Amino acid sequence: MHFIGKEIDQYLNQQDYIDTVVVPLLQIDLSETGMKSSAGASEYLQNLTALLEKQFKGRILLLPPISYGKTADRQRIADELTKEVEHTKFKHVFYLTTDSEWRTLDSLKNVLWLPAIPIEDMDQSFKNSVMEDQLRQVLPLFTKEWSHHS
Amino acid sequence: MSNNRVSRRQFLGYTLTGVGGFMAAGMLMPMVRFAVDPILQQHEGGDYVLTDQAVADITEEPVRVDFTFEQTDAWYKSEVTNSAWVYKEGDKLIALSPVCKHLGCTVNWAGSPEHPTQFFCPCHAGRYEKNGQNIAGTPPLGPLDEYQVKEQDGFVAIGAVRDNTLV
Repeated sequence: MHFIGKEIDQYLNQQDYIDTVVVPLLQIDLSETGMKSSAGASEYLQNLTALLEKQFKGRILLLPPISYGKTADRQRIADELTKEVEHTKFKHVFYLTTDSEWRTLDSLKNVLWLPAIPIEDMDQSFKNSVMEDQLRQVLPLFTKEWSHHS
Repeated sequence: MSNNRVSRRQFLGYTLTGVGGFMAAGMLMPMVRFAVDPILQQHEGGDYVLTDQAVADITEEPVRVDFTFEQTDAWYKSEVTNSAWVYKEGDKLIALSPVCKHLGCTVNWAGSPEHPTQFFCPCHAGRYEKNGQNIAGTPPLGPLDEYQVKEQDGFVAIGAVRDNTLV
């Protein structure tokens, strides 16, 4: 499910089935040197999460990317997000990011870090196959987590 | 000079008929256009999308075939890639939609090692027979949708989605 009005209606009716929330974490870098790679990473992350949503539409709720600046306090963001999810019916939370700083944080469980691949110059069909490959790396992590706790 | 002179009465008669005729036409023409408009509309639903899957390579084992089309969502145009599970039943091509009828996940052929001849939905372990029939006891409540499908120059072309006609 996407975080949009219509699908949230469906979510509210089917809360027992949709037990996983996916949070993309996105660093925004607006410096002249970093802007291009930051935008590329954003494109990659949003493509990947959209594909993931398509595969697991009936079990995950995909939030819009949580965006923050370079100097953001990751710990604070982590605490806020944890607190927000705490009182919901979600049993599993996944964070997807291309920002390596999240790897140093211990308080968040299930942070999937992926190195961003620049996909902007690929033609459509090649891009699709690259993204499918990327997705295949992520899928088992989800099914593993689900089979552990159900 | 012409011999048959036009009287004042005749002149006014001609003029009024002419002007009246234009006014009536101005009103009637748009009405006629509106009335026939539904016949002139192009039906987008009937269009087939050509894929790069050769029909000769299709067997009785379902394979995933991707197809891309342009979708307009308000002012935002985007290329959408969908897929279908295509197989042959005798000589007949069959294309099933991969969208699970439970909550819309993507199902996979032989996605579960225990059930190699069924479609499997990884979200809530929903299962379907090869013809799309949902298996009782698993979450899905209906059979998989079917695509209209035909052969075009030796390749698979996929059309509109419709309710399953096989079960």
